[in-house]
Parts: sequence; C-alpha cells; structure tokens
Amino acid sequence: MYELRCESLEKSFGSFALQPLDLAIQPGEFFSLLGPSGCGKTTVLRLLGGFEQPTSGRIMLGERDITRLPPHKRNIHTVFQRYALFPHLSVFENVAFSLRLKGLSRPDIIRRVDKMMNLTEIGALSDRRIHQLSGGQSQRVALARALVDQPAVLLLDEPFSALDPSLRVRVRDEMRAICKKVGATFILVTHDQEEALQLSDRLAVMKDGRCLQVGTPKSIYEDPSDTFVASFIGAVNEIRGELSESLPGEWSVASAMGTFKVKKNGLALPREVSMLLRPEKMRLLRQRSNTHDNLLEGEIQDLTYLGSRTEYTIRTRDNVFKVSEAEMDRQKKRLLHHRDRVFLTWKTEDAILLPQSTL
Amino acid sequence: MKKLALRLRDWPPSAWIFFAWLITLSVLPFLIILAMSFAVRSDGGVITWTFTLANYERAFHLVYFRVLIKTIVLSLGATLTCLLIGFPVAYYLARATPAKRQLGLMLLFIPFWTNFILRIYGIVSIFGNHGLLNQALLHLGLRDAPLEILYTRVGVYLGLVYNYLPFLVVPIFSALEKFDLSLREAAMDLGANRWQTFTRVLLPNVREGIAVGSLFVFIPMMGEYVIPDLLGGAKEVFLGRVMVEQFFTMQDWPFGSALASILSLGLVIALWVRMRFDQGKTEAASHAFR
Repeated sequence: MYELRCESLEKSFGSFALQPLDLAIQPGEFFSLLGPSGCGKTTVLRLLGGFEQPTSGRIMLGERDITRLPPHKRNIHTVFQRYALFPHLSVFENVAFSLRLKGLSRPDIIRRVDKMMNLTEIGALSDRRIHQLSGGQSQRVALARALVDQPAVLLLDEPFSALDPSLRVRVRDEMRAICKKVGATFILVTHDQEEALQLSDRLAVMKDGRCLQVGTPKSIYEDPSDTFVASFIGAVNEIRGELSESLPGEWSVASAMGTFKVKKNGLALPREVSMLLRPEKMRLLRQRSNTHDNLLEGEIQDLTYLGSRTEYTIRTRDNVFKVSEAEMDRQKKRLLHHRDRVFLTWKTEDAILLPQSTL
Repeated sequence: MKKLALRLRDWPPSAWIFFAWLITLSVLPFLIILAMSFAVRSDGGVITWTFTLANYERAFHLVYFRVLIKTIVLSLGATLTCLLIGFPVAYYLARATPAKRQLGLMLLFIPFWTNFILRIYGIVSIFGNHGLLNQALLHLGLRDAPLEILYTRVGVYLGLVYNYLPFLVVPIFSALEKFDLSLREAAMDLGANRWQTFTRVLLPNVREGIAVGSLFVFIPMMGEYVIPDLLGGAKEVFLGRVMVEQFFTMQDWPFGSALASILSLGLVIALWVRMRFDQGKTEAASHAFR
C-alpha cells in the first residue's frame, strides 16, 4: 500500500478555483473531504480519479507521479454518487468487469468475484439485473465492483446520498466493516458531517476551494480552526464580544449579553472574538445559582424530546441558544416545559475562542 | 385474441380515429393485395378471382429471387453505410452544447424541407456525367472520361444513403442523449481504455437505438422505387421497381401483389422475431426477479 499525496494541487475552471492543496493520506487510512456543495471536494476527487487534469501541482501514489495518467491506468477506483452500474450487465458481470479487462482466466474471475460478493453480502444477487436492485444493494454492488480488483485507493463520491435516510446509518456501519476487512486507502467525499465523523480516521474540511483544517474527527470537533469549521461540524452557539485580561492571567469576553470568563489557549487572538458553545456542553438550571461562573437567563421557546436527549431552544434577552441535554438526570430534576424560565450555564473551559469571522 | 379485444375496449375514443386511419389506409389495402396475390391475371390485365399459387411459384423463380437478394444486399449495405456515417454524427450532436445541437439537427433536416424529387435531381446535377463532380474532375485533368456514377449501382447506393441518413441519426441521437456519461467514467475507472469503453459499455447501452434506427431505414429502403428508378436507370433492377413494373407496365396485378406480399410478410416476420426476442429477455429478467 502506498501513501497518496497531493502537492500544491490546483485547478481552476470558470469562476471556480481550487486553491493549492497539500494533503498526505496514509496507506490504509479512511480519509474524508467534507464541505458544502461547491467547496471543491468533488473536484479533488475527480483529480485523484483522473477525470480532470489539474492546472498545476502533482499527485503522487507512493513514489510514482500519477498526475497525467488516464483513469484506466491508475490503481484507483471510484464508487460513483449514483453508482453508475452497467445496466446491460448482470450483478456478477458488473463486479467482474475490471477482471475481464485484465484478461484473467475464467476460474480466477469466478473465484475472486464470488469472494468479493460474499464479503459485501451480495452473493444471492449474482444473476440479477441492475434495475432490480434496491438502493442499498446497488451500493454494495458498486463497492464490490470497485474493490474486486484490489485498488490501492478507493474513492467514494457521496455514496450514501442516494439512499433512504433510514438506511444510511446501517449501510454506513456495514461499509465501515467492509473497509476494515479490505484494507485499502479510502477517500470519502461528503457534505454530511455525521457521516464524516463516523467513518473517518482523519478528515479535511473544505470551503470555497480551500482546505480549512485537516485532523481527526475529535480534534476538528473540539478544536476547530475557525467559526466556519465549528458551525459546519456540529451545531454551535456563538457569542461575539471583546477579549480582555481582567486580572493577570484571567481573561474574559465582554459581550452585549454580559461578561463571561474564558480560558485562553496559546493562540494569538484579536480583541474581537467569537465564543463558541456546543449545545451539548451547555446546561439548564431552574434557579439562579451562585456556584456557576457563566449564567444567562432565558425562556424555553421550543423543546424536542429525542429519547436519549432533549433539544431546547432558549430565547434570552437578545439571542437564541440551542441546548442539548442528556436525559439521564431526569429523576433529579422537575420536568421543564415550554415557556419555563431557565438559566443557561457552561463550564469555562468548554467555550471555544476564535477570531470573529468576517462573514 | 380475447385479451386483445379487452384491451381495445380500454382505448379512449380519440384512439379510434387512429385505428380507423390505420385500418382503412394500411390494413385493408394490405389484405386486398394479399387476396389479389392468389388471383389470376386474364387477358388485358383483368383480374379473375380464382384461387391459385402460381404467382408465388413464379415469384420464387431465379430471376426474381436474384432481384430480391440484390435488393437486400444493397439495402443492407446502404443501412450499414448510414450507420457508419450516422453514428459519429449522432454522437457529436448528443455531446454538443444545446446551441450547436440545435444547429446541427437543423442542418441535418433542412434538405428535407425541399421536395424529394428536387433533392434527387440535386444528386443528378452533382454526380451526373455532366454534373459538377465530373466537370471538376475533367477540368482538373484528373480523368479523361467522366466517372460513371449515375445509372449504376453506386448511384442508387448514394441516393439511398443520402436520403435515409437523417432517419437513422435521430433514434441513435436520442439513445446517446439518454446514455449516462458516468457509465463511461465508471468503465474507464475500472480499467477500460477508450475502445473497450466504446464496445463494452457505450454500444450495448445504445443497441436499442441502433436497432430502431436501422429498421427505420432498412424497411423503407427495401420497398424503394423512386431512387433506383431515377438514379439507377434501366440497368439496375430493384425489387420496388419490378413491382411497379408488374402493376403498371405489365398490368399483372396478381403477380405484383405476390411480390409485395412476400416483401411485407418477410419484414413483418423479421419485426415479430425481434419483438419476441426482446419480450423473452424482459420476461426472463422479471422471472429472475421473482
């Protein structure tokens, strides 16, 4: 297995431009490109697959420069967004397609296709025609077809977007299991942050042709590099204010809603900052409490019971907050209702401090 | 039969206009021709309604059989040529920008806004012995004598290809337009080069369009009369011409009818076999599904 590297990869067409991209994807890694539509993630995938040529830069697979190789000469396969299964061939022949092109002997083809179809659990569908498959089945066939040839890298172009939402989570679990067994390098393109968090070893968040942050799901969720990344991965509440050192070593943010204590990390920050709070890091109190540092008064505007947790929309004097509370301490607390007055609080260290975005 | 009757009742009244049209102008004349093919020609071209198979016996005589073979070969050849020219044209049009596509389709059909006979004479004025092509060749000294194209098999062939080409381009164009380009990318992604992508993925997926287009062109070519008459002259006998001769020159309607019936039945059987073949495939597929 080889490392896949993008070196100052650039591509521009029309009004779109992919800014110089440097990425090193480890052998056997599950890597995701995450971003809203138009961010350039699909362009990167098409460059890697060989369907587009970069304006400049290189793509290296191990020590080999594959930038100018046509798609059929790369050891990289793709699972297309709509799967692009061949409608004129049976499931078996779809999976066998790449092996037939390689001119393998019949017994070899049958053995390898059968093995892959068993792994992806589509053995029973062997003789089916493509139009007789359900969404989930089509996806497995596409996966089997792309994997049978043992590619070094497998590109997945929004492979779950064509599926029923109720199916997605299950299919994701199954896909993850298959990927672990196969042991190739996987690169997933998606706009669904949950998908990226669940599947990836590492991910890159992209926007407007630029790669904003690369890291593990945990590091990106907990330490986003800017407000866009923070709001794109998971929900976030924002308080804008001015950062100041009230006492030596003690920092606070003064906002229209009040002044809140913060912990400053090593980063250099401007005066104008955004304080970001994840909904699940916030707590609701029924009464004012003096033991909590940060407190905001508000009213419950809306609440949604979701079984494992309840999501609240809290209206304060001049802002709206999303709060998500686990239900485990339900016994301790009297149930909250619509229009109840509550106090919002959070631990000082849970607030993420970032420069204010210009948007 | 019962099933068909049931279905007929389900048709809306507007469909009956179409059926009436079809029956009076297509089915009925064909039945008359069929009946006539078993009748006897008496002196002066009078038809005597006595049942006989003599017309068919005569139709399978070597002379006519040769004409039939020649007609089939020439029509097949012209269809194949239409395919070779038409496929790239259809491919280009299907991939072109909407503006270019519209222009292309218009250019393809503009000649067909002029009268058919005029178009044929257009060919004459280009390929005739004193036509543009020969004038140019003689003038440039490339040939001493005019190239004989008109009133030969080549002339008929040229006329057929020229005249039927658009009818083949259109069905192939619409099949290619529907072809999902991501299939092409998938094939290349899986290791197919351009040629393999073409033969293993593109062609099988537009096969239906090619078949329909070829039939659209081949069937009317088989019965073509005007083109061989005007461009083939007296030397080139085409089945259509033989039939017209029997009807109008020889006044032998029963024999002409027998020839026409053989041609029609042959084509109907060919179509039916093709349909059965397609039906068989979908049935097998739905069976596999169960």
